[in-house]
Amino acid sequence: MKRSIPLAICLIMGIAMMIQFFVPHPASVAFYDLTTKWVRIVAAFALVLGTGSLVMYHVDKLQRRRRGWYYSIVTLTAAAATSVIGLGWGVRPGSPLQDIIFSNLLVPLNSSMFAILAFYMASAAYRAFRARTKEAALLLVAAFVVMLGMVPIGANVPFFWFLVVMAGALIVAGLVTRSKALFIGTGALVVGLLVWLAFSGFKVPRLMLPDTAEWVLSVPNMAAKRAILFGIALGGIATSLKVILGIERGWLGGGKQ
Amino acid sequence: MKLFNYLLKIDRRIIYIVVGLLVMFPLVKPLGLGVTSGPRARTLFEAIDAVPAGKTILISVDFDPSSMPELYPMLTAVMRHAFAKNLKVLLCGLWVTGAGLADKAATEIPPEYGKKYGEDVVFLGWKAGVDAVILGMGENIKNVYPVDYYGKPLDSLPMMNTVKQLRDIPIVFAISAGTPGYQDWLLYAQSRYGMRVGAGVTAVSAADAYPYLQSGQMTGLLAGMKGGAEYEVLVQKAGYSKAYMPAVAAMDSQSLAHVVILLLVIVGNVAYFATRKRGA
Amino acid sequence: MHISTSILTWVAAILTIGIFSFLWKDNPFYKFCEHLFVGVSVGYTIAITWYNSVYPDLFDPLFMAPLSKVSLGNKLLLVIPLVLGLCYFCRFIPRLSWLIRFPMAFVLGWASGVVIPAMLQTNVLKQMQGTFLTPGIFTRWDVLLWAVISFVGVVCSVLYFFFSREHKGALKVASETGIVFLMVGFGASFGYTVMARMSLLIGRLQFMLRDWLGVIR
Repeated sequence: MKRSIPLAICLIMGIAMMIQFFVPHPASVAFYDLTTKWVRIVAAFALVLGTGSLVMYHVDKLQRRRRGWYYSIVTLTAAAATSVIGLGWGVRPGSPLQDIIFSNLLVPLNSSMFAILAFYMASAAYRAFRARTKEAALLLVAAFVVMLGMVPIGANVPFFWFLVVMAGALIVAGLVTRSKALFIGTGALVVGLLVWLAFSGFKVPRLMLPDTAEWVLSVPNMAAKRAILFGIALGGIATSLKVILGIERGWLGGGKQ
Repeated sequence: MKLFNYLLKIDRRIIYIVVGLLVMFPLVKPLGLGVTSGPRARTLFEAIDAVPAGKTILISVDFDPSSMPELYPMLTAVMRHAFAKNLKVLLCGLWVTGAGLADKAATEIPPEYGKKYGEDVVFLGWKAGVDAVILGMGENIKNVYPVDYYGKPLDSLPMMNTVKQLRDIPIVFAISAGTPGYQDWLLYAQSRYGMRVGAGVTAVSAADAYPYLQSGQMTGLLAGMKGGAEYEVLVQKAGYSKAYMPAVAAMDSQSLAHVVILLLVIVGNVAYFATRKRGA
Repeated sequence: MHISTSILTWVAAILTIGIFSFLWKDNPFYKFCEHLFVGVSVGYTIAITWYNSVYPDLFDPLFMAPLSKVSLGNKLLLVIPLVLGLCYFCRFIPRLSWLIRFPMAFVLGWASGVVIPAMLQTNVLKQMQGTFLTPGIFTRWDVLLWAVISFVGVVCSVLYFFFSREHKGALKVASETGIVFLMVGFGASFGYTVMARMSLLIGRLQFMLRDWLGVIR
């Protein structure tokens, strides 16, 4: 009963909401309004549960004097103080919650946490991004096109010159590594550039880097992302059906109950 | 050879210092590269520009301070555009820590155009239950938000007399840093209520938005800080605003940062392959 | 250079430096800032949740509003989500922790039922429509060419994820073509990710140089 009633509730609600999508009758719309309102209220409790769990974790850490327990005092004090200020003074324009807590504590702390990712990304790109395979090299070239094409510095750069610089970089890499495959690939690229130049009357072709980047995003990138979107959508629908039909029961939790 | 070995083993803090200094330099001494607007930003600009005066647009502030440099300039630029065109702005949010940012914008921007809270701009606030919020707004906004962010009953706000449900709103501009975000507006507001959805997204999720652009489900896209800069330029060129443009000011730094990353990747690869080949 | 005289700006700047100090190495100042951030976020969430969600949707209509404004029937209906919500807190009472299944069943069932038609329409049918039908393909040769390439890309990328059969013969060719498109897609995402991360750093530096130190105007 402790498992079968929740499963029955899940089944009834799932089927009811699926059918409701197609039924415009006022009774159906009233049911939809009512359940939507209930979900908003219950969702707010779930949020409070999350914050409660965090508070309990830090209280436990403090009580057991686990490593770094003094930092839990900071967390609990900050949470208590912010809650009291927020609940006491409200969210009126000019309230301390907005003007002091949000603008001068939450914004700098939150922004800085994510700003330091830029350094890690630069370090990771330098140390770990290796074009070991053809696929990785293709990924790299696409990344370079988008990186330069989507910022002002690439706005007036013809795609032709970008490829010339790439060919130059490949020649240097070939000389350093003495790789035959690299020399052959670079040679093919140089020949291709010369043919393109010939077709455009020996003038630098007008195709600009931003236009190339836009093409990369709108055609091959769009196709790949759409395929991934199909997969996610079909997987999501399958999982939702499994939850409704009670095939997926992980949310019930374990235990004999 | 020694040089390549040294380059491969270089302390990461040296890389941090180099990146930090090179990114800081253009902020102090601008390079003057300028910003041109792309087709996606122009599509969104034209869509909002075409909304008749007196109508209300909805802006969903679905981001928090961690994405503020990328997304807040979009919010201010679109609000300035709307007010200059005598459109009313309805703000809401699906991220709890984004409420403060929407509050900031709702307080700072309207006075620039002589607009009043309650008549020209309303901030509904945040509400739990993402899809339940959007679906509820589709039927009746006041059922979802009986009071606004500041606790004022919606019935007491003159602007809300003409906006009862999502169908009364010609376009929603969802500024999203992830989930929940523009995809939820597409899933629920557009599929069920046929709403036009424009999006401003962090650059991380910009590439994922292109399928929706191609299928016509999305009207325009602002991608990252560059997208914000593009919209700021469009708004200024149209004469709708003379305000400081923080995203445009950052573009020189952005350009140099990209070149730095590019060079780091190339140097790292050259050093790696040089040492690997000779080591083998 | 016009250094800010506002104490709050100085607090914000010091906290920023505290977080950035982690780049050198982990240190107590960074840990303090990190724990402060967690605490402030929790407190802020509690305040906003109360004023924006719990009070106007539940507490006010159920306990504060007079019967002339909210009828007894509507008040009694609100008891149901209140009870369901309170069941969440049974998580902290081991003997009653099974009660948490009721609100979860309600919300999961509701959300799963709502998402199926929405997902099918938005992410499957409309996307398929976009794949097969592209405006302007019969008016311009380049639009037709890109539409064909996109179509091939979508089909091949989808086939790459078909792991129920061994990738041999035609499926192997299609799958390898799909990998090419996927790699270009991931490269584009990486390029944009670089932009995103750098933007966040630039934003913080703008605050430090403009609002705190006054080096830039």
